[in-house]
Amino acid sequence: MSRISLKVVGASGQGVNSIGAIVAKGLKRSGYCVFGYREYPSLIKGGHASNQLDISNERIRSTETKVNVLVALNHHGLELNMEELKPGGIVLHVTPGWQFPEHHQKLIAERSLRVIYFPVDDILNRLGARAILSNVLLTAFVWSMLDQDIDALKSLVGETFAKKKALLELNMRCIDEGYSFVDPEQGTISVALPPPDKGFASHLLITGSQAMGLGAVHAGVRLYAGYPMTPSSPLLSFIAELENKTHMVVKQAEDEITAAQIVSGAMYMGTRALTATSGVGFDLMSETLSLNAMIENPTVFVLAQRPGPATGLPTWTAQGGLLQATSCSAGEFTRCVISVSNSQDAFDLMPVAFDLAEQYQIGVVVLTDKQIAEALYTQRPYDLETAEIDRGRLVVDPEKLKALKSSDRFNPHAQGGVSLRWLPGSEAATYCAQGDEHNSIGAVDESSLNAKSQMEKRLRKFHGLKAGLPAPKLSIGGHSTTTIDWMDTGDEIELLAIGWGSTGDTFQDVMCSDELRGRKIAYLHYTYLWPLRTQELQILAKRSKHIVLVEQNYQGQLGMLIRMECGLDIPDRILKYDGRPFFYDELLSSVMERCAGTTENEEKLPGFEHADSRS
Amino acid sequence: MNIALQTQPPALSDYYSATKCIWCDGCGNYGIWTAVKYALVELNLRPWQVCLCYDVGCHGNGSDKIEGYRFHGLHGRVIPFAAGAKLANMKVPVIAFGGDGATFSEGIGHLVHGLRSNYPITFVLHNNANYGLTTGQASSLTPQGQPMNTSPNGIPERTLASMDLIFSLNPTFVARGFSGDIELMTRILKAAIQHRGFAFVDMLQACPSYNHFATQEYLLDRYFDANADGHDPSDLQRAKALATQVQDRIACGILYQREDIPDFYNRLIPRRGLETTCVEEVRRYDVSEYWKELV
Repeated sequence: MSRISLKVVGASGQGVNSIGAIVAKGLKRSGYCVFGYREYPSLIKGGHASNQLDISNERIRSTETKVNVLVALNHHGLELNMEELKPGGIVLHVTPGWQFPEHHQKLIAERSLRVIYFPVDDILNRLGARAILSNVLLTAFVWSMLDQDIDALKSLVGETFAKKKALLELNMRCIDEGYSFVDPEQGTISVALPPPDKGFASHLLITGSQAMGLGAVHAGVRLYAGYPMTPSSPLLSFIAELENKTHMVVKQAEDEITAAQIVSGAMYMGTRALTATSGVGFDLMSETLSLNAMIENPTVFVLAQRPGPATGLPTWTAQGGLLQATSCSAGEFTRCVISVSNSQDAFDLMPVAFDLAEQYQIGVVVLTDKQIAEALYTQRPYDLETAEIDRGRLVVDPEKLKALKSSDRFNPHAQGGVSLRWLPGSEAATYCAQGDEHNSIGAVDESSLNAKSQMEKRLRKFHGLKAGLPAPKLSIGGHSTTTIDWMDTGDEIELLAIGWGSTGDTFQDVMCSDELRGRKIAYLHYTYLWPLRTQELQILAKRSKHIVLVEQNYQGQLGMLIRMECGLDIPDRILKYDGRPFFYDELLSSVMERCAGTTENEEKLPGFEHADSRS
Repeated sequence: MNIALQTQPPALSDYYSATKCIWCDGCGNYGIWTAVKYALVELNLRPWQVCLCYDVGCHGNGSDKIEGYRFHGLHGRVIPFAAGAKLANMKVPVIAFGGDGATFSEGIGHLVHGLRSNYPITFVLHNNANYGLTTGQASSLTPQGQPMNTSPNGIPERTLASMDLIFSLNPTFVARGFSGDIELMTRILKAAIQHRGFAFVDMLQACPSYNHFATQEYLLDRYFDANADGHDPSDLQRAKALATQVQDRIACGILYQREDIPDFYNRLIPRRGLETTCVEEVRRYDVSEYWKELV
């Protein structure tokens, strides 16, 4: 699989993201798959930020640490990012008279880098354009380097300025100028892209947060309450931006406790409501998780992870919230923890989360992380026909409502612990959603017999929930397969990797690499993290020569849960906890290290069979 | 319930609960509890038509002593829960109850933002000036220096001027009742439930077990119906004075009300012109319209 990476670096607020966004959209429309990754410090202006696009004509969903093109909007980029260039790479910069230090000159020579100074101020002066248009100039030049059609760029930029004629004309002149610029020393330079695949042209360029927001609307969420905290804020912003179209109730709450309580009240009343937060914000919501467990109120909370403790690394990524999600809050109760992995399931899992919450009348925590929330994915348009709106044992039929008794609400003998639920305002017998231990009608009852039977009612849901959750997804050599089919084939697995969340996409790209294509590497991806299904893992583990856990946290939290649930200890772990996601080349080398030594023998064996070799 | 019953107006007995009351002898909760039922019946509301949300405290132990769709939550959090319930279904009247301990300590932020947001709910403060259920600790409304459980020398903190705080937040409805006057409380509650925004109702209540300073006799001697005395609830300055000056006589009744301020829900531009509630709108939505800009 051929992959090209282009990285724009500069100060926050300089336009790092606008160049990335236009190039990404243009390339996608030309038929390329683009994966965008942002790094930025927690401040508004200044600091050192980057926006990297990894580009291919096949599906690409990870970032490399090495780049083909570096666009430096200030000299800090020239100081900080030169080491990242691949041999033959291109450095495009705008710093007049920049003298590279000796070690960089050596680097330029050794790696045959081509350095282009783009005289942005001169061109702006000549055009009488303001500094803000420097991004358009640079974008146009990058566009020409990528050998892309100038009219495609013009129509893209034109969409933004369609109603501002004067600005539009100036933008078009900038595009002409930037596009036709030729570096006097380097001559015409082009970055070779593989032939496009027009299938990508109709795809969406979407962040995980936007995907989750669309998924929530699709799932029938009618009220959203949130308190800003990165990386959950983009979801709040996206939902708010859509409010005049969706007609949803959107509330920026005074704190996370309020947000959690508002959505709980709204769910109790019977709508679908959502909130999202991160780290310590989720700590504030956790008492409400416990409350909802006691009153058996279905709820969905999004926990967008970033590194902690405390405020940690606000704008960076982590998977350190798994144990927080599975274990926080007072008392013992049934909950469900699931994690999204990319823009596909960030959408698909929202209806699933609400269905689970309503089917079992439990709290569902949906994990995401900064990487998923802010990464830019090339996404096939979503299937809008498959999702169910399953409201479980909700009674709405007027006749059935009239037949209800108050004691149906928390009936301890209900099948699977899931009793009938009906909504305030329904013409029926009433009940109390009681935060104290209560009997079947919600009246406080501290008797031994009642305490025991109600605890057992609520915890009995766990078994049904666990039995009904889908198995973890198995991929062999980058191809997804059903776990059952594959487990029957009897081959020995060279390396079995286990991961969850945003790790999954990078691992898929690693398995699709030329280096590992066809190898007997299996990747087991957990979407449903609690309750944790381990039967498939246990069978696969017996068939694997080597098992490795891949997580973005220090303790190997999924590994801890696995050990707790089935006793399987996974001593070999690829862990990362520096706020950065797994990068493609970095994870590839970690995986290759573990495959080294077995290569010669294994290559002679027939390749893996898989159920669906196309996907 | 059957059809025949529906043709009858609701009766107090509709709100009877089989659960026994467990409040102390002489507790003000008996009076407030009774007045709530009167108000609901007089407003022609049946138990299934109302949502009653209780905070944690002695009053919260009333959550299972009445019929209606009820909720009994966490300490200090009742206002945002009730607000969420109401915003989800504007057709159901939502009444939240909280004590002075929760409301002016752990939940004071929620109170401030509840008033500021002007949520369309009624909030009834069960004000006995102490933490009753945890056996008589000082709340922020207990007079400074008053010896209480865990503060034998009295608390060093100043007493919070609750009504000054309330009026600083530009309320749209402020009333004060006294747990010994059910007719007065019923009149106040009916007006509060019918109010279009956040109705703040301060119910002064006796706590014979732990409040030995503002006793039933003390309150009985001092309270009076300000409206009967001719107070006009639209007079803000007079309302403020009546609410805050309680040394000699304690003004009760509807102290302040204005109806010209839209409530939170009616300020939501996306909801304008919609007849449906969020509860009625739960279904699968086609979102393809929203991703057009992303292609």
